[in-house]
Amino acid sequence: MTITENPYRVEMIDIRKSFGAIEALRGVNFQIAPGEVIGLVGDNGAGKSTLMKMLAGAEIPDAGKMLIDGVELARSGPRSARAHGIEMVYQDLALCDDLDVASNLFLGRELYHPWSRRLDHRAMHARAQEHLQRLHIRVKKTRQGVGTLSGGQRQAIAIARAVTFDPKVLVLDEPTAALAAKEVETVLQLVRDISSRGVSVILITHRLQDLFEVADRFVVLYEGAVWRELVPAETDLSGLVTAMMGK
Amino acid sequence: MTANTEAEVRVDSRRTQGSPLHEFTTAHFNVLSILAVFIILFVFFSIRADAFLTVDNLVNIGRQIAPTVVVATLMTFVITTGAIDLSVGSIVGLSASVLGLMAKTGNPLLALAATLAVGAGIGLINGYLTAYGKLQSFIVTLAALIAVRGVALLITQGYSTPIEVNWLLVIGQGQFLGLYTPTWIAIATVLVGWYVFTQTRFGRYVVAVGSNAEALRRSGVDIRRLQMWALVLTGLFAAVAGVLVSTRLASGSSNSGTGFELEVITAVVLGGTSLMGGRGSVVGSMIGAMTLGIIANGLVLLQVDVYWVPITQGVILIVAILLNGNLVSRVIGRIR
Repeated sequence: MTITENPYRVEMIDIRKSFGAIEALRGVNFQIAPGEVIGLVGDNGAGKSTLMKMLAGAEIPDAGKMLIDGVELARSGPRSARAHGIEMVYQDLALCDDLDVASNLFLGRELYHPWSRRLDHRAMHARAQEHLQRLHIRVKKTRQGVGTLSGGQRQAIAIARAVTFDPKVLVLDEPTAALAAKEVETVLQLVRDISSRGVSVILITHRLQDLFEVADRFVVLYEGAVWRELVPAETDLSGLVTAMMGK
Repeated sequence: MTANTEAEVRVDSRRTQGSPLHEFTTAHFNVLSILAVFIILFVFFSIRADAFLTVDNLVNIGRQIAPTVVVATLMTFVITTGAIDLSVGSIVGLSASVLGLMAKTGNPLLALAATLAVGAGIGLINGYLTAYGKLQSFIVTLAALIAVRGVALLITQGYSTPIEVNWLLVIGQGQFLGLYTPTWIAIATVLVGWYVFTQTRFGRYVVAVGSNAEALRRSGVDIRRLQMWALVLTGLFAAVAGVLVSTRLASGSSNSGTGFELEVITAVVLGGTSLMGGRGSVVGSMIGAMTLGIIANGLVLLQVDVYWVPITQGVILIVAILLNGNLVSRVIGRIR
């Protein structure tokens, strides 16, 4: 990792958001460097998902600035976030059950022939197959409807969609909830692999022990604000839990 | 948790694929079940009604069902997004009236353009209120169903206007290679509709919106524009249907298209499109419309009391949906 004039890949400054009368985020400052893995933790309702949805463009902040590589994001939205290399695996997976595996992987960036506007089904299936194999995801048919897959397979597809298109920032919101022990290990290995390639990873999970395996830094949210920033070497599980409770 | 370090490669040996026949029938069984109903009825009428299986009669059916087929193609898109358009029948009435009135007083070409613009314009209002106003399409288009019919009655004062421009009448009455012009227009609509639905991004996004709109939005697709366009196009093609109906009858009547929306929706649902969105078939809708068409035609030829037509169509709708859900899938389960 080289030091440039701007050390941060993403900088979120004084982010605020209210849903009606409910204040979800009240001035959050958050930074992540290239190749860094951050464990974003906090109690239910602390604002973790909301903050990350803003990064991915799925929610618009009421106030605050977001900088990608030092450049302010002028118009935030899912398309612009994707264009800046931010990918997110949502807690609800955001898959279309009625579409097949390949269609879900390429949702919003389908390959098509420029003049006939015809989707390039063959290329998308071939590339989907390739990507899944590379990620060791055991889905035999890319033509299978996502609605017919198991919970673990669906989660794997959601992860594959986020990492397939060379993101610069990857947000994983509870990516291992439906996975078996061995598959969890695969995801953690994936996090190590891609962060070593310089991708910034933000991991939200209830499995705190996983965070100690991969995270460089913990950011603890409490009631819509950053409460603590901790380093794994200087804390332990109970220290992290205490911080999450706002103590 | 300890990492499983065994490097063994396990291959899942369970079957993931049936025979090609099984794969095909599972993928398309919505359409296949209505096709089966259609074939059964077709064979039945061919045997029982002497005049049914004649070129003249079939060509005639092709003309009769053309407006339904045209609008059902577009309605398939709307219903697959999870919305509905109840206003198409009233748009048929208004566009027929506008065409009649304007063709009488001025330039017929301008009349035709204005008629189509009126349809698209109503579709735009429907679409804008639904997509950007976040109102339910059922309510928006129900209001349009009522109000647009009122406009048609108002501008015509309830009278029909004869259409006497010859080249306009060709649209409804002309023949080419044995088929009437409306039939050709319906065929073209289905072909283009099928292509857009299955082969383009627009069609894929229509399915995705109906399946999980939020997922599509987060993928960076402007779902409101998509929802609006579906209704604009349906309005436009409802006006096309209005042109077909009025030029066939050589008369623009404000009462034409009454109950048409229900016929179109019935055809679409018969064809296996889910009212919940996310699943649809343009070809299925066409077969659905053809099924309704041969029931109306065949029962008349059998000299059954004409009031049996809607009764039969209603029963067939229920039978087809039952077949679709249960029976067919059980039968398919056996032929793997």
